[in-house]
Amino acid sequence: MQHIDRFAYANRLARLHPAYKVGCSALALLLCLVVPHPAAGLSVLAAMLTLAIAWAGLPPAFVLKLALGEASFLALGVLGVAVSVSTSASAAPGVRMGPLWFAISPDTLWTAAVLFARALGGAAAMNFLALTTPVVAVVDLLRALRVPALLIDLMTLIYRFTFALFDSLERMTLAHEVRLGFRDGRSSLRSAAEIGANLFIEAFRRSRRLDLALQGRGWDGALRVLPHAYDHPRWLIRGARR
Amino acid sequence: MTLGFSDVHFSYPAPSVPALAGASVCFTAGEAVVLVGRNGSGKSTLMLLANGILRPGKGAVTLDGQAVRYDRRGLLDLRSQVGVVFQNPEEQLFSASVYQDLSLGPLNLGLSPVVARERVLHAAGRCDLLNLLDRPTHALSGGEKARAALAGVLAMGPRFLFADELTNSLDPWMRANVLEIFADLLADGCTVVLATHDHALAASWAQRAVWLDAGRVRADGPADVVLNALRQQLPPAFGHRRRTADARPPAAVSAGLNEVHL
Repeated sequence: MQHIDRFAYANRLARLHPAYKVGCSALALLLCLVVPHPAAGLSVLAAMLTLAIAWAGLPPAFVLKLALGEASFLALGVLGVAVSVSTSASAAPGVRMGPLWFAISPDTLWTAAVLFARALGGAAAMNFLALTTPVVAVVDLLRALRVPALLIDLMTLIYRFTFALFDSLERMTLAHEVRLGFRDGRSSLRSAAEIGANLFIEAFRRSRRLDLALQGRGWDGALRVLPHAYDHPRWLIRGARR
Repeated sequence: MTLGFSDVHFSYPAPSVPALAGASVCFTAGEAVVLVGRNGSGKSTLMLLANGILRPGKGAVTLDGQAVRYDRRGLLDLRSQVGVVFQNPEEQLFSASVYQDLSLGPLNLGLSPVVARERVLHAAGRCDLLNLLDRPTHALSGGEKARAALAGVLAMGPRFLFADELTNSLDPWMRANVLEIFADLLADGCTVVLATHDHALAASWAQRAVWLDAGRVRADGPADVVLNALRQQLPPAFGHRRRTADARPPAAVSAGLNEVHL
C-alpha cells in the first residue's frame, strides 16, 4: 500500500486533473462490463498497462508484478467456474476422483475466460487510477462532485490515520522485538494481542489529541480545505485557445 | 494587546488534583516568553485555556481586558488571535497534503478562498515549506512536521503564539530554524510563549520567564532571574560535577582512544 501511495505522488500524471484519470479508468471499467468477450478485458489490460508505463512513467517491473499478482488470484478464483463438479459422469471431458467427476466443458471454460479477462481488465483500470492519482486528488474531485462532506472528511481522516497507525504499529512491534516478544509461538501470540490492544488505545488517544488540535484551529465539524491546482492536457488547452 | 489569566483554576475530571490552582499572568504584545516548570505543573493546561479549548473552572481569561466569550463567535475571535502548537506535531496534521492542512484554519475563520490561499502561501514561506506544499503529511520528516504544524497555526494570523515543547524533539539546526521563525513573529509584534524544559534555550531566547509550580505562577520576571531561581530547585544530578585535576579516564578507554582535537 505504501508503494502504491508513493507512486501516486511520484509519477508523470500526478498533477494532471483527476477527472481525466477517473474518466479514463471509468471508461475502461465500463468496456469490461458491457462487452462479454475476453478480448475486451485483455485489450483494456494491455491499454491500462501501456498507459501506466508509457504515459505515467511508472516502473514496468512494479506495474507488471502487481498485475501478475492479481492475475494469479483471479485464476484461482475462476477455477471454480471453469471446472464443474458432479456425482455422475457428464458428456464433457473430465476425471473421476472418488465419487466425484471433475469436468471442463467449452461453455464453462468460456465463462471462466470472460470472467477472468473482465476482472483483470477492471483491476488494471483501478490500478492505473490508484498508481497515478494521489488520494488527495480523488478527494478534491469528490468534493467538486458535491459528494456529502461527512463522507469526504471520513475518507481524509481514514487515509491519514492509516499511515499514522502503521507508524505506531512499527514502533510497537520493534519495542516488543527488542524485549524478545516474538521468541516463540506463545510469546508471539501474546505480543500480537498486546500490540493490537495498545494500537486501539493509541488510535483513541491520537484522535483525542487531533480533536484538540483541530479545535485550536477553529474546527466546527467540517474539514474545510482549499482544493489543489491541477494541470490539464496540452491538447485540450490548445483546443480551448482556438 | 494583552492576554490575561486572572486567578484561573482548572481541574481535569480524573485525577482530581487541580491542573491550575489560581494562576494569574498577563502576556503583552511582542514578548518572547518561556513557560517553565515540572511536568504536570500546568503549562499545557494554561495553553489550552489560552486558546479556549478548555474553560476555567474559576477565574477568567481575558483578551484586551475583555473576558473571553465561549460561544461560537467568541471562540472564533479568540482563536484568530491566539494560536497553539502542541507538543507532537504528528498529531496535529489531519490532511493528506500540507497545502490542504494549512488551509483549514484560514477557511474556518471565514476567509475567502483567495485570501486563505494568500495566508497559506505566506505561512508556508515563513516556515520554509513552499516546496513541500504538495507533499503528503505522512511523508514529512519530524522537523518538517513541526514546521507544518506551526505554519497551520500561523496561517490564522495569531497575535499570541503558544508553542508547547515544540523545539524539544528537534535537532539543533531545525531548532534554530524554528527560533528564526519566532524571531520574525516577534519582529512583527506577535507574542511567542514557549513551554520548554530546555533551560539553556530558555535563557538564550526569552526576555521573560514564567515559572509554573503546582498550578500556580511561582515566579514571573526577567528570564535570567527566574531561571536562576529555578536552577536552585533542580535536583543534584543537574549540578556540574567538576573533574579533579588528577582524574584520569579508565585505562581501557585511554588505551583504545586517540586524543581528539577540536
